[in-house]
Amino acid sequence: MALIVAGVSHTTAPIEVREKLTFRPQDAVRELALLRANGLIREGVVLSTCNRTEIYAVEESNDTLPDISSLLSNRLGDDVAGFMYVHRDREATAHLFGVAAGLDSMILGEAQIQGQVKAAWEQCRAESGPILNRMFQSSLLAASRARVETGIGRGAASVSSAAVQLAKKIFGGLGGRRAMILGAGDVAELALECLLKEGVSVAIVANRTHERAQNLAERHGATAMHYEECWESLHDVDVLICSTASPSPVVTVGRIRASIAARGDRPLCILDIALPRDVEASVGDIGNVFLYDLDDLRAAAAANLEQRGEDVPAAREIIAEEVQKYWDWVAGLAAVPVVREFREEMDRLRSTELAAALKRLGPLSPEQAEAIEHFSRSLMNKFLHEPSVRLKAAAANGRGLGVVDAARYLFALENKPGTDPQKGDSTDIA
Amino acid sequence: MIPIAHFVAVTFYLAAAAVAALPFARRVKAPVVGVVVMLLLGIGAHATALAGLTRQAGAASLTGLGPGLSFAGLVLVISLVVVESVAREVSLTLVAAPVAALITVAGNLAGMHPFLEPQGVRAVWLTMHIVLSFIGIAAYATAAAAGTMYLVARRELKSARFGAIFRFFPPLDTLDRVNHLASIAGFLGLTLGLALAAGYSFEYRALVLPQIIWGMGAWVGVSALVLGRVLRGWQARRAALMSAVTFASVVALYVVFRMASLNRGQFL
Repeated sequence: MALIVAGVSHTTAPIEVREKLTFRPQDAVRELALLRANGLIREGVVLSTCNRTEIYAVEESNDTLPDISSLLSNRLGDDVAGFMYVHRDREATAHLFGVAAGLDSMILGEAQIQGQVKAAWEQCRAESGPILNRMFQSSLLAASRARVETGIGRGAASVSSAAVQLAKKIFGGLGGRRAMILGAGDVAELALECLLKEGVSVAIVANRTHERAQNLAERHGATAMHYEECWESLHDVDVLICSTASPSPVVTVGRIRASIAARGDRPLCILDIALPRDVEASVGDIGNVFLYDLDDLRAAAAANLEQRGEDVPAAREIIAEEVQKYWDWVAGLAAVPVVREFREEMDRLRSTELAAALKRLGPLSPEQAEAIEHFSRSLMNKFLHEPSVRLKAAAANGRGLGVVDAARYLFALENKPGTDPQKGDSTDIA
Repeated sequence: MIPIAHFVAVTFYLAAAAVAALPFARRVKAPVVGVVVMLLLGIGAHATALAGLTRQAGAASLTGLGPGLSFAGLVLVISLVVVESVAREVSLTLVAAPVAALITVAGNLAGMHPFLEPQGVRAVWLTMHIVLSFIGIAAYATAAAAGTMYLVARRELKSARFGAIFRFFPPLDTLDRVNHLASIAGFLGLTLGLALAAGYSFEYRALVLPQIIWGMGAWVGVSALVLGRVLRGWQARRAALMSAVTFASVVALYVVFRMASLNRGQFL
């Protein structure tokens, strides 16, 4: 028995390959059930997102890689080997923990993957078992720790979230702040949705085409206006989002100066996400106006990502700790019952042979009988010490599930109750 | 015991500033509880030092230069702890804790020699004046610190620089609110302190020109700030600039008076 993960991700396969390998939840469960029914795996979970498809499995005695590879190749309609990576045992655990923490994501540290890992595990629960249940649960814990204890998830990593971050740096909480949107396109709406989540209320939607402005305004309980009318209302808003298709700037110094006087000292945050830009660059020179264009927003996101990158080693340390804890658990789960059974079996043999020997020796004084008893026990302990230690160590090193199986086979323990970690209900921690 | 307790207090203030500066060295949030606890430990040591001085002098002595500066440092840190505990934000410690440490060290270098104080009602009156005035000055210093941080953070935001200051300074709005509340507290403290001083001077004919000029200067500065905010709607950069410039002027005026003063044993 061994842990294996095989799959493709954005680092190994282009989108054309990844999209063919995407599993819907019901497909994932069906394929895993098939692998289990064929006696190839004991447990399985498929993690399928837009950036990766990975199959996590606890193998039966045989190597299941050819079967997993064949499954993916059939789905792709071509040989998947050139795009596929494989990790086993401890490396497989470290890989999953890194994935859940966002260390393997396209945008480093993104939080969405943690939810996707959890969803994948829950969707495949019927085909999972104690080993994978514990591993996925530990991966979520490791990911949470990495996010809380390091900065890998801190700061905005996309343009729209950078816009929110900048507005927050000016206004603190955004609840109750008012926004005006210039241009009613999809990009403006996307940025607007990010601000709405923070509690910003949309006051005015201004667009050259009044009908589009009205549509957007109705959706957010705002007022629709033409460009020409909106400038008078500018004194009343805190955030201005500009995203028109105008070839020349529509927000000029003159227009802003005219409204800024009525604002007093209140700051105005202008997010110009149009290309070409909607706002004259010199508007940013006006006191209490904070002007950010697309390049600024990208720079803010890039700065955050750079900072996240610096925290990767710290996150990896946390993951290594959690991987160790998980394999300690596996060691206990897999090796301890085998060692116990092994010792009990040896002790039973020792007692039988001792009784036979004592019978052959004839009458002995109690001291003599005790010395022989002590000798037999001591000899057995000495013989068993090294194999016991090595069995536990092998399991803890993440290479030992196979060794544990081998020990079970060598000492004829495979049919004895209580030595198979896969069968005990008490180990199902989910 | 008094110098040792002062030393311990200064160490805690500087340690609190160092912990508050952690985000600039490593990508971690400053531990609010850790900073506040360190400041509280510093306050404890500082209060112990002043209590020791009181026991030594036989009465609460705040009028000497050394004790006065030490008390000013203590009040500044107390106001800092109050502001930061309410705001759950410790970046003000970066500025205010080293200032408090500096003032305390200056007080100790000047010598912790209690100036002869009056007794009875007169002593209570004088002590009330000193305590309220120092609370006013400490709040004014907090407003100035918040204002200075506002100006620095604003410059970073205006120029779209996304470095450590962008990441770890509080939002402009928070700094503006701290500036607003602290300037009002400063105005109230100084107004009451000066009213008591005026009454005291009138009653006991104890007029000291440098004290009157400096006290009035500080009061005019903080009053202009508060009036601008409340009546003229000053906010943001204007209020921040006003608080930083006027407080710097008040400090400069104090230094000038101290250098020129003949009353070397007194606060002024």
